[in-house]
Amino acid sequence: MKFQSQKVAWGFFATCMLLFTLQIVYGFIMAFAHAGFDGLHQWIPFNTARASHTNLLVMWMLSGFMGAAYWIIPDETDRELAWPKLAWAQLIAFVVVGVTALIGFHFNWWEGRKFLEIPRPLDFLVVADVLLFIANIGWTVWKSPKKSTTSMVLFFGLLAAALLYLPGMIPTDNQTVDSFWRWWVVHLWVEGVWELIMGAILSYLLIKLTGVDREIIEKWLYVIVGFTFLSGILGTGHHYYYIGTPRYWLMVGGVFSALEPLSFLGMAIYAFAMAKKGGRTHPNRVALLWTVGCAFMSFVGAGFLGFAHTIPQVNMYTHGTLVTAMHGHMAFWGAYAMLILGIITYSMPLLTGRKLYEHVTAGFAFWVSNVGMVAMTLAFAVAGVTQVVLERRVGMDFLTVQKEISVHFIGLILAASLFTLGAAAFIWNFIRYGMPNAPVTGVAVAKE
Amino acid sequence: MLSKSAAKAFFLGGTVLLSAIFLGLTWDTFQQIPGRTNAAALTDSVKRGKHLWEDNNCMGCHTLFGEGAYYAPELTKVFERRGPVFIAAQLKNPQAMFPGERNMTNYHFEDAQIADLVAFFEWCGKVDLNGFPAKPTLGAPAQRAAGPNAPPRPLIFSQLCITCHALEGAGGTVGPALDGVGSRFDAAYLDRWLRDPAAVKPGTKMPKLPLDEAQLTELVTFLSSQKEMAR
Repeated sequence: MKFQSQKVAWGFFATCMLLFTLQIVYGFIMAFAHAGFDGLHQWIPFNTARASHTNLLVMWMLSGFMGAAYWIIPDETDRELAWPKLAWAQLIAFVVVGVTALIGFHFNWWEGRKFLEIPRPLDFLVVADVLLFIANIGWTVWKSPKKSTTSMVLFFGLLAAALLYLPGMIPTDNQTVDSFWRWWVVHLWVEGVWELIMGAILSYLLIKLTGVDREIIEKWLYVIVGFTFLSGILGTGHHYYYIGTPRYWLMVGGVFSALEPLSFLGMAIYAFAMAKKGGRTHPNRVALLWTVGCAFMSFVGAGFLGFAHTIPQVNMYTHGTLVTAMHGHMAFWGAYAMLILGIITYSMPLLTGRKLYEHVTAGFAFWVSNVGMVAMTLAFAVAGVTQVVLERRVGMDFLTVQKEISVHFIGLILAASLFTLGAAAFIWNFIRYGMPNAPVTGVAVAKE
Repeated sequence: MLSKSAAKAFFLGGTVLLSAIFLGLTWDTFQQIPGRTNAAALTDSVKRGKHLWEDNNCMGCHTLFGEGAYYAPELTKVFERRGPVFIAAQLKNPQAMFPGERNMTNYHFEDAQIADLVAFFEWCGKVDLNGFPAKPTLGAPAQRAAGPNAPPRPLIFSQLCITCHALEGAGGTVGPALDGVGSRFDAAYLDRWLRDPAAVKPGTKMPKLPLDEAQLTELVTFLSSQKEMAR
């Protein structure tokens, strides 16, 4: 690694591995419950498993973004982090808050608001923690004479993500208003500023792995995040079709959601083109595989499946069914999970000084987890579409339909087992890399 | 060829413009929400119901306005579909209404809390959701097959009984279908059965329903009228 303080990234990545593992465990609990085996109901009822599954996801995404930023920012700005000790303290605080929330979920301590279940007192701690992180990287960028586009886009993406957490805390007695603000957080995160973060991390990886000129990559970064906001901001409307908000959102949300795949398509073409254009063959081929794979899978999961699900006439019937779970799984995996696994794959050899990327398990982890995820998406698709037809179109009773489709959850469990095998290979590799004790090679530039 | 500064201008300009439009629409939406959600009817009871809904993470299994998890039924129209009697009975003891079926946690609500939740569901059901949830168009013929001469269904039948039993091809599958039930059992038996199913057939899954005398009479009359079709 170039700078000593980049080491903290390893701490965040290790946290990712731990949270990812737990997330898979809760996922299995839910899949088994859907298939009719809810033996854990008394201790871990479905809503506990569900809140744990989604919040662990959000937590490990945030942990991954923070780790990525702590790795990328010193590299891009050519200096140590402003406050390395604060970064470690902020990691520990993050884990403590996260674990407290997770335990709380098992004792009915939460807010029943999808994706934002973390209890209110802990919300303030999350915000405080993330602001410390923003201050740390912000000050690092500020103090450096080098302000690359990649590091600026990354910084502003992270800052916007922190600020957009706040609307979710506006108190209200009206369920419609509650939902309205909740999507300001969730949608403007995953289909807005998180894509800014994603674009910046992708650019960084492409610059490092393909050797294509930085100016070209960063120019296209602007174009892609431009398209993201062009479609994504008003695309929020696809959450405002049927929650008590005005009818014009059907038009606004419908049109702009239909444009959303363009930014993902742009990202996929961009990654493929740069990977092809790159003259230099970087030895860490599997990191490039995750990078390009991320751009491709996010186009399929977030772009295409999202588009199919958010056409207003379709969404009237698919809204609130397992079709959402189908889209959600591949979208999050493609866009964000693969991205974080990509930056981990890229940085681990540099952090630890060991080159395990040629090992057969590295490629195995990529292919097996992806085939598993595609199979999971298909299982959700069959269950979801069957549910839509029987319950929403034919009008059969909810419980009857659930029994009808429970067999598809056996399929889901099998697919998820394959996925888990791939994930386990990745985590095993992470462990084998060992501690981040590679020699420090960089020389900090001073501000003139 | 596009320059980097032009690309940056496109990004910043687009973002500012679209954000401004979004903020404008948000402002307008907030002008319309009170009318569309019938905010004047947000009584203290409804508000308490909403907070109970949140505190127990009901959305972790159910959906409301189509939002939540997909493990338990959509509840936007539950007040209209099941009525207050069913909702209260289900919340009092989740095992009573669907014995041996998918589990719901018993939250040990007090009667006042149950009333708050019922008020909350009643309010939710009246919010203008642009037509959501849509009526199931493909299932309609099965119900129309009953013909114009079929006796009208009592409300309590459409809300309670249909949860577990089917009639004319529509309804639950927890209990047996009720087509022709009037030919199989006489009125006196049906009356005894509805008053206390376990007394007639020990170990039955059928719960003792919270019915008053008028509802009981209405149901027995209706069920007795369900004769087997002549073959």
